[in-house]
Amino acid sequence: MKILRLVAVGWWLQLKNRSRSSFDGLLSILYPLFFATTIFFLYRQNGDEAALVSAAVGASLMGVWSAVSTSASTTLQGERRQGTLELLVAAPTPFSLVILPATVSMATIGLWSFIVTLLWGRFAFGIPISFDQPLVFVIAAVVMTFSLGLVGFLQAMASVRYRAAWALGTLFEFPVWLVCGFLVPLSSLPDWVTPIAYLLPPTWGVSAVRAAAFGGSPWRDIALCLATGAIYAAIGVALSRRLVDSARGNATLALT
Amino acid sequence: MPVIEVDQLARSYRSGSRFSRGARTEVEAVRGISFEVEPGELFGLLGPNGAGKTTTIKMLITLLLPTGGSARVLGYDVVADPREVRRRIGYVFGGDKGLYERLSGYDNLRYFAELYGVPPREQRQRIAELLDLVGLTGKEGQRVEGYSRGMRQRLHIARGLLHKPDVLFLDEPSIGIDPVGARELRETVAALVSTGTTVLLTTHYMFEDDELCDRIAVIAGGAILAEGTPEQLKSRVADGHVVEIEVFDGVDDRIDAVRAIAGVTSVGVESSDRSQLLVVRTAAAAQVTPAVLAALEGRSLGRVATREPTLEDAYVELVRDA
Amino acid sequence: MTAALRIFFFGGITSYRALFHWLTPWILIPTFIVEPIFQVLFFAFVGRDAGVGDDSFYLIGNAVQFAAIPCLFAMGNTIGNERYTQTLGLLLASPARRLPLFLGRALPVIINGFCVSLVVLVLGALVLRVHIPAEAWVPIVGVLVVTSFSCTGLGLATAALALRVRETAVLSNIIIGILIVFCGVNVPLSALPAWMSTISYVLPLTHGIEAARDLAGGASWSAVTGLVATEALIGVVYAALGMAMLFALEVESRRHASLELA
Repeated sequence: MKILRLVAVGWWLQLKNRSRSSFDGLLSILYPLFFATTIFFLYRQNGDEAALVSAAVGASLMGVWSAVSTSASTTLQGERRQGTLELLVAAPTPFSLVILPATVSMATIGLWSFIVTLLWGRFAFGIPISFDQPLVFVIAAVVMTFSLGLVGFLQAMASVRYRAAWALGTLFEFPVWLVCGFLVPLSSLPDWVTPIAYLLPPTWGVSAVRAAAFGGSPWRDIALCLATGAIYAAIGVALSRRLVDSARGNATLALT
Repeated sequence: MPVIEVDQLARSYRSGSRFSRGARTEVEAVRGISFEVEPGELFGLLGPNGAGKTTTIKMLITLLLPTGGSARVLGYDVVADPREVRRRIGYVFGGDKGLYERLSGYDNLRYFAELYGVPPREQRQRIAELLDLVGLTGKEGQRVEGYSRGMRQRLHIARGLLHKPDVLFLDEPSIGIDPVGARELRETVAALVSTGTTVLLTTHYMFEDDELCDRIAVIAGGAILAEGTPEQLKSRVADGHVVEIEVFDGVDDRIDAVRAIAGVTSVGVESSDRSQLLVVRTAAAAQVTPAVLAALEGRSLGRVATREPTLEDAYVELVRDA
Repeated sequence: MTAALRIFFFGGITSYRALFHWLTPWILIPTFIVEPIFQVLFFAFVGRDAGVGDDSFYLIGNAVQFAAIPCLFAMGNTIGNERYTQTLGLLLASPARRLPLFLGRALPVIINGFCVSLVVLVLGALVLRVHIPAEAWVPIVGVLVVTSFSCTGLGLATAALALRVRETAVLSNIIIGILIVFCGVNVPLSALPAWMSTISYVLPLTHGIEAARDLAGGASWSAVTGLVATEALIGVVYAALGMAMLFALEVESRRHASLELA
């Protein structure tokens, strides 16, 4: 109960802080729109309505990953520059429980981007959106958001010790977009990519959201999305103690 | 039992990375220091920039692992039991960082209240009390980015006290705040100590220590040079005197001549807009003053005065010898 | 004249090094090689899925575009950082000639963008097995040089504009986003609404990408000189605009004693 409250308050305040930043907040919503616009134009050329609608959902979800992958590994650098990283470590709360709400808050910004992009597709491009199971669609999107927040948590943890880790965040943006079936079906990619894709929560999240939108049962995919996300979180928790101690040993908590 | 026990504590840093040119070098920031702080005491670590004060504090508050020696806070080892230590201590540093700029002062406190496990039912009241204590009541709804330096510093103090810590670590708290703010800060700290909180304060402002501290350790180059009450430290130079001479047309070229006078222990110069103040420390003022005046022959002089040594004089003496 | 040259090279390189002092191989390879390659692969596969364009279309579009990102960011950040570290005032107030100073700043950035672009083009062609005629490579390199230059021109204008807004990085990102959508990187201009393709003709990158695609498709250098000249001209115009804005800003800040712009 206490932990739930801590996570909830942390998430809310981090979200508030993030939303007020033009870089983390505004840009996390605007930037995916540029990509989505490109993709809408791309798929519109053929006049294949069904492909365009499917791509619209995928392109909108890309923003969730984008918000996580670009912010997760830079957020601690931001805290470090701001002088708050030391204060977070100095608090008696386990560091994992401090950082987890922060990365989930990033994914939440991505959720706004998802909604904004869907609306952009609807009103600027006239892409009709009607959902097979609206409520399940919302659940699938929220689960995917949370699960990507867990992946971001592992990324953030890695950047506690390694200050250069922030550069790796943006590194994962396109590969995950490519291999997790956001737009390109797994069957179009080389076979050896499939097992990798199965280990990545976005694969299941995208599949679940699509199933909820266009028919089919999303529950197995929702469960797998959550389960794979939990694996990343568990690795993050397991590493946290060691990485924080290593940062204490190597004096990388402060910026100097 | 002492609240803080520091035994042969040391910390060195490696600098340079594998990719940069030049070899890696090892810098010893703290070289095996020892001291103890008793319950309810206000203990000052006084030293110039780069003396190792901040490194020492960061080891005590568990942010930095020592490379030698040990330290215990409230009986808990800072390396073995960091959580127990963190639960019971507060940490406040100077400067305007360490706050969430885009959140209000209230939200900043709420966040840290949660991280420090302040029970939800008590949070509201505790925050209100602290806002009152640091004089930010009515400003708590504003975003921190609009706060002045002094307000930020007071918010920091409130944050450091949220969980009613037994020991408060203040690292150069008065950096960059105006004299009025600094005075208010000293009053707040004094009030805290009167309620039984143990405080460890680092500063390079002598008067801060002189006015506030029960005991002081002077640190320079990573080692403790002297330790004692302000009175004890002053008495180390108490048999001497200080002669101050105001000079209007430049004194730099005469310093060596003054220093060469028998009986002069040290010479310093403080510059102001219009004049320079030559500060001569000596064992016997009466004999030395005429010789000093002779060395300044031809310069236009202002005030000439002899005074008792202050803590600053003791400090300058100590650090100069180090 | 020698002083001008010294500021040109030295001032430029030192500030560029300060900007990229965090560059280690751990950051360099992901940022300037792996990430761009995946961008190319992503759009190539999306193009296949959508059934429009071919691999060569996306490879060239994205490769040329990589000349833009470093130019825009580095220019914006160089001047933005000067302000952040409060050295901009010192810099503008120094008696150094401004033109060589800022051009010096631009040069290493141009080279950087050019290298990224070229590396992506070579690696992307290998991975996607896109055949680019052997005789086309030299002219394509020429196009990359010109496109890098024109994007640096826009970068300079952005940097000047960035002094007026607080969030340099946000501004650069938005401009890059606009370039990606408008300039025919992944969407042919013919698929854009008319008003968008009109705008794209006054942006850098558009003509460069078109020239590179023509060359890769077998066109001769003489067939693309018109496009290349237009691309260069656009770069000159933006650079001049940027210089003028910086100069105006300097005059204004001196008058209002507001060199450290909040």
